[in-house]
Amino acid sequence: MNPAKTPADLILSKLAEETEKTQKRFGQDHPVLFGPLDTTIASTPYEVVYAEDRVKLKHYQSIRETRFSTPLLVVYALINRETMLDLQPGRSVVQSFLEAGLDLYMVDWGYPRRKDKFLTIDDHVNGYLDHMVDFIRQRLNVPQINLMGICMGGTFCVMYSALHPEKIKNLITTVTPTNFDTDKGLLHVWFRDLDVDRMVDTFGNIPGDLMNYGFLLLNPARLMIDKYVGFYENIDNRAFVENFIRMEKWIFDSPDVPGETFRQFIKDCYQNNLLIQNKMELDGRLVDLKKITMPLLNFYGQFDHLVPSEACDRLSREVGSQDTEDICLQTGHIGIYVSSKSQEQFAPKIIRWLQERDGPGTVETGVSRKVRKEKMKVHPTI
Amino acid sequence: MSEESKGSDGSEALFSTWMKTANDFWGSLIKTWPVFSPSLEKVPSTEKDDQAQGKTEDAEESLQKFWQIFFPFLENPVLAEAMSKGIPSLPETVAQVARVAFEGHANLQKQWLDRMGRTETPPEAAPKAGDGEQEPFKTWMAFYEKEFRKYFTMPPLGLTRFYQERLAQAMDQFNLYQAALNDFFHLLYQPLEKSNQGLQEKLTTLAEEGKAPEKFQDYYHLWLNILEGHYQTLFKSTEFTKILAETLQATENFMEAKQAILQDLMQLLPVPTHKDMEELYRELYLLKKKVSELEKKLADSQKEKKAPRKATRSPKGDGSHESG
Repeated sequence: MNPAKTPADLILSKLAEETEKTQKRFGQDHPVLFGPLDTTIASTPYEVVYAEDRVKLKHYQSIRETRFSTPLLVVYALINRETMLDLQPGRSVVQSFLEAGLDLYMVDWGYPRRKDKFLTIDDHVNGYLDHMVDFIRQRLNVPQINLMGICMGGTFCVMYSALHPEKIKNLITTVTPTNFDTDKGLLHVWFRDLDVDRMVDTFGNIPGDLMNYGFLLLNPARLMIDKYVGFYENIDNRAFVENFIRMEKWIFDSPDVPGETFRQFIKDCYQNNLLIQNKMELDGRLVDLKKITMPLLNFYGQFDHLVPSEACDRLSREVGSQDTEDICLQTGHIGIYVSSKSQEQFAPKIIRWLQERDGPGTVETGVSRKVRKEKMKVHPTI
Repeated sequence: MSEESKGSDGSEALFSTWMKTANDFWGSLIKTWPVFSPSLEKVPSTEKDDQAQGKTEDAEESLQKFWQIFFPFLENPVLAEAMSKGIPSLPETVAQVARVAFEGHANLQKQWLDRMGRTETPPEAAPKAGDGEQEPFKTWMAFYEKEFRKYFTMPPLGLTRFYQERLAQAMDQFNLYQAALNDFFHLLYQPLEKSNQGLQEKLTTLAEEGKAPEKFQDYYHLWLNILEGHYQTLFKSTEFTKILAETLQATENFMEAKQAILQDLMQLLPVPTHKDMEELYRELYLLKKKVSELEKKLADSQKEKKAPRKATRSPKGDGSHESG
């Protein structure tokens, strides 16, 4: 009778086989990796139509006749870059919007430098953002625009819509934290006791690399190990390698966050949860969510480890609007924008929703659609 | 023989060797001096410069002569002793000062070595049951705090005391920062170790049930899931948030201390320091904000006076606008 193999024996024998295979693979040429690769990101043509300090306003060139009477302004977060919405051909939210005939503008927050350390949330919301909204309104001679925010950019859009409701026709928030009183996301746990005063006083602007390191720590097993194992396994797959490099380019392109903005965001939002309680102030002006009376479409991800659904789904109950819709996608923080399944559901849903509300006088329909929840299945890995 | 005299005997031998080495070095250096001297004489100069240079040359010549006499005399300690006895004033004093200084230095080194020798058994930092795997770091920190830190925190004296203080603080904070980083990364390593143990246990169970995975990929995914679980447990623990906060604090302390030294250095150069730029940026920010407010007030008052305008701001052709 043969003695039963121990787990160590099994692993070692398998490991030996795999090592041999691995050595063979390493010994091979990798024509894809060493050959020419197309890893361009954000390739959709645009024009910078407005610039103020480091901030720019992009206007994307239409690829078909505009079918909407109201333009859409997309506001990204101050963390990472807006290029994520146009990461690769065929998986570009920007291209989907343009193909649907949307007149699309996007904020490029640029790269804050030392002189930007003193800029507060108020400077971003009631300064840069308000100036850009006014610029578009004047340029197109329209009284209102549609506003779409992403993550922290969505939080800025919520604040803006509460303070300037007359300028916003429809509001779309995506993976937007507004309720910070939750233990579901590690960021919420870690930020709660962070000595943010000391951090900002020492660092000035918060380095993008430091933020990125923090994000990697949220799941080191997946983000520091498994991700690269997956890359190695697909090293000879050109499309995979190109898209992987595109994602790497985006994820590690991290501007610093202006110090005073970071300080206020952590204190007022993460530590004191003032926004959802209608207690947050920007330069002395109270942000009252009840003043958000325009239609609201609120997207979030069921498997989002950065902004958990609990941080997003309370907004629609707190705003003054009677036309709100929550959509929980079965995906993660970035998957909403870049996964192939999401491409079929996320952008088309926004386009349909805006089409339904694009005509004049649609703001006050009197029809209550409040808190209609919808769940969509999207690839859950990202 | 007393301990003191023992040390004295030992140090005398060392002293002779050191003197010989120093003599060789300075002696060879002295021989090069005349090579440079003529080139200095050729430089055109004013009368005032000539006087000053004359004094410098006199001093150099005097010093040169002194060392030319003094070094050969020191080459042989026996001769040095005889010479020092023969010339009762200056050389004896110099030799005595040098000897005392050397003995003091040797004594200091001995103290440091003694302290280093104690690293293995600091009684206050002796491991206690249940202290866990962080123990080496805690031991090192306790040892550092007790034995070394005082050298960096003792009050410096004299004209340059503030510069010395900032340098010592930076060195101290660097050590604490390194210790905190070690602690932090060690904590991050623990789930890896635990996941290996977890995998072993899991595989034993599966093997006993006859369900051991066939493919290496399956082992990998099993291990990855265990690892992910351990990391999530760690990251939600109060221990992690505590050590994360301590690491951040140590980083900030070191950055501040480093910045203070840089500030000292930058002040010597004809460039603005970090503090200068910080003040300038703040003033610029406040000024831009003020200008923006005034612009808005002006636009509002003009609106009130005239008929409502189409635009509150007249965008330039390229859309550029430079107010904060």
